[in-house]
Amino acid sequence: MTEARPQTVYRSLLGGDARIGWLGPGLLLAIALHVLVVAAAFFLPRLLDRPHALRKPVIAHLVALGKPRDPQLLPRKESEPPAAASAPAKPAAPSKAASGPPRQLSRQEMMERALAGAARRTQDEKPDPERAGQETGSPSGTAASAEEGEKYFGEVEDRIHANYVVPSVISERERLYLSATVVIYIGRDGSIVKHVMTKPSGNSFIDQALVLAIQRTRLPAPPAELARLVRDEGLEINFKP
Amino acid sequence: MKRLLLLALAAGTAAHAQRPTIDISGARVQAYPIALAPPSGAPDGSDVMDVLAADFDRSGLFRLLDPRSFLADPAKEGSSASTIDFSKWTAVGAQALVKAAAKVEGDTVKVDFRLFDVPHASEMLRGEYSAPRAALRQIAHRFGDDVVRAFTQEPGIFQTRIAYVRETENGKQIAVADSDGYAPQQLTSGSINLLPAWMPGGRSLAFSSFRNGAGAHLYQVDLATRAVQPLVTMGDFATGAVFSPDGIRFAFSASQAENTDIWLSPIEGGAVRRLTDSRGIDISASWSPDGKRIAFVSDRAGSPQIYTMAIDGSDVRRVTFQGNYNQEPAWSPKGDLIAFSGRDEHRVFDLYVVNVQTGKVGRLTQSEGTNEKPSWAPNGRLLVFSSTRSGKKQLWTILPDGSNPRQITNDPRGASDAAWGPLAGK
Repeated sequence: MTEARPQTVYRSLLGGDARIGWLGPGLLLAIALHVLVVAAAFFLPRLLDRPHALRKPVIAHLVALGKPRDPQLLPRKESEPPAAASAPAKPAAPSKAASGPPRQLSRQEMMERALAGAARRTQDEKPDPERAGQETGSPSGTAASAEEGEKYFGEVEDRIHANYVVPSVISERERLYLSATVVIYIGRDGSIVKHVMTKPSGNSFIDQALVLAIQRTRLPAPPAELARLVRDEGLEINFKP
Repeated sequence: MKRLLLLALAAGTAAHAQRPTIDISGARVQAYPIALAPPSGAPDGSDVMDVLAADFDRSGLFRLLDPRSFLADPAKEGSSASTIDFSKWTAVGAQALVKAAAKVEGDTVKVDFRLFDVPHASEMLRGEYSAPRAALRQIAHRFGDDVVRAFTQEPGIFQTRIAYVRETENGKQIAVADSDGYAPQQLTSGSINLLPAWMPGGRSLAFSSFRNGAGAHLYQVDLATRAVQPLVTMGDFATGAVFSPDGIRFAFSASQAENTDIWLSPIEGGAVRRLTDSRGIDISASWSPDGKRIAFVSDRAGSPQIYTMAIDGSDVRRVTFQGNYNQEPAWSPKGDLIAFSGRDEHRVFDLYVVNVQTGKVGRLTQSEGTNEKPSWAPNGRLLVFSSTRSGKKQLWTILPDGSNPRQITNDPRGASDAAWGPLAGK
C-alpha cells in the first residue's frame, strides 16, 4: 500500500486558486485603479485649472501727496539733495588723531553716536515744497501717479525694493544688464521661511546683495486668500537692473 | 484608496499650482565699505593715504570707514592675510581693507600697498608704488586706479586730468589740473579763452579765443610747450570744437552770413562741411561714443533744446521737450544718457540727464546755486561741472544719479567750462 506523499504545488496567485478565491481579480482591479488615480492626478489639473489670477500681479503704489507737476517743466529731483552737498572745499581726509591706538567703543557710545547721526539727518532733511503727486495722495506715497492691483504684492515689492541695494564696485555693464530670480516662501505671519535662488545673476556681489535684501526684509502677514499660495508655492521675484 | 486618491490629486495639483511672480527693478547702488588702515613706516605714507581716501570718497564707489571705529590694532596685526584678524574688520563693517607701508630712499617715496577682500579673508592686490616726493600724489592715484580695476574690471579715472577755464586778473585762461583739482597748470596768459576740448592723444587742447581781435576762433595749445596755434579761423566766429572718438575729425560751431551752424572738419585739415542748415542757432556739438551721431543745441523750434543727428547731418531728432532753455549737451561714454544744463521755472540753470532712447529726463542738481557745463569722466561714473553753490563758480564732481557732489577747485576768482580728459595712455 502506498501512501500519498505531500506535494508542493506552485500556482499563480492570479490563477484563480480556489483557496485564494476572489483575491486575484481584486488585485488586478486595484492596480488598474491606481493607474487611473495617478493618471487623473496628472491630467485633471491641466484640464480643470484655469490660469491663476495672481500669476502676474499688478503692483499697487501709494500716491505721493502734492500737486501734479506741469509736464512741460523740467522735473524736480526725485529725492532731496544729500547732506554731503555742503562738502568742504577739499575732501576731508582721515583725522590725524585717528592714527593713534584704536579704542573700542562701548555699546552705549555706539548707540549714542547712531542716535545723534539719525537725529542730525532728520533735522537736515527738508520736505520738498514742490514735490509732485496728487492732492488726494498720501504723505508716505512713493509714486506720482496711481496704479491699481493686488495690494499685498505691492507692499511686498515696496519692502523688498527698500532693501534692493547693489554694491557700487560691480561693473556698470553687469549692474545694468544682469538679472536674477529668487523664490521666497512666506509664512502665515509674514516671515520669509525659505528662499531659493532659482536663477543666479552670475555675479557673486549681486547674488550676495539679493540674498541680503531678502534676509533684511520684514513682510506683513499675507491676506487669508493668499496665505496658502505664498506659503506652499512661494512668490517668484525677478530682480532686474 | 480614497486617501491615496486625495494625496495623489493634491500632489498633482500642487505640482501645477500657479506661483505668483513680481518684478523688482531700480536697485539702489551703495558705496562699498572700505577700511584704510593707518600706514606704517615713513610719515609720507599718511600723506599718500589721505590722497587715496579723497579719491575713493569722490569716486562714490567706496564708503570710507571711520578709523576711530577700528577694532584691530593695525600696527600689531601685520599686513599679510595670515596675520590679519579679519573678524575684527568684519565687525566694523569693512568689506575691503587697504594696508600700506612707506619708506623713503633718497628723494623717492615707496609705498607697499595691499588690498584685502575681508569677507573671503584673502589678498586681492599687492604692489610697490614709487614716485619722487614732489609727485607723491601720483602714488595714490595709481594704486587707486588699480583698486578700481580689481573690483570693477573697468579703468579708474584718478590719474586723468581736467581742462577748464580759470578766471584771472588777465581774463579767462585755459588751465589743466589733476582729476582731484590739484596741480593746476595755466596754459594761456592773455585775451579771453573759453571752451577747452581735449585733442586726440591728450597732449593738446583746442579752445576758443578772442586773441586775434576779430571774434572768437579756434586755437590749439600744446600741454608740454604751451605753444598756441590757430585751428579754425573761418567765418565771423568759430567755437566749441569737439573731437570724434576715432580722433580723425572734429565738429565745431561757426557763424557765416549771420547763421550759426555745426560744421565738421578732418583733423588733418582740408574741406570743412556744414552739417546743419536751419534758420536758428545750432551750437554745442557733442559726439556719441560710437562716433555715429552728434548731439547739439538748436533753437529751431523756438527755444534752445537738445537734438541729435547723424554725422552727415541727416536724421535730426529732438531729444528734450521739457523746459524752455536746455544747453551744453554732453553724451555719456556709455551712450545711454546725454547730460545737459537746463533753466527751470525759477530761471536757474541746473544739471539734468536725458535717456537717449526713452527721452526720460532726470535731475541731478537742485536748489544749490547755478550749475552748468557738465562733462563726463571717461569711465562714465562721474561728471564734472561748474557750480556757484559755495560762492564763486568752482568745479565740482557728481555721480550720474545726482549724489555725492564734491568740490575740486578753489580758485580765488573762479573756475568753469570743465572738460574731462581721456584715460591715461589713451
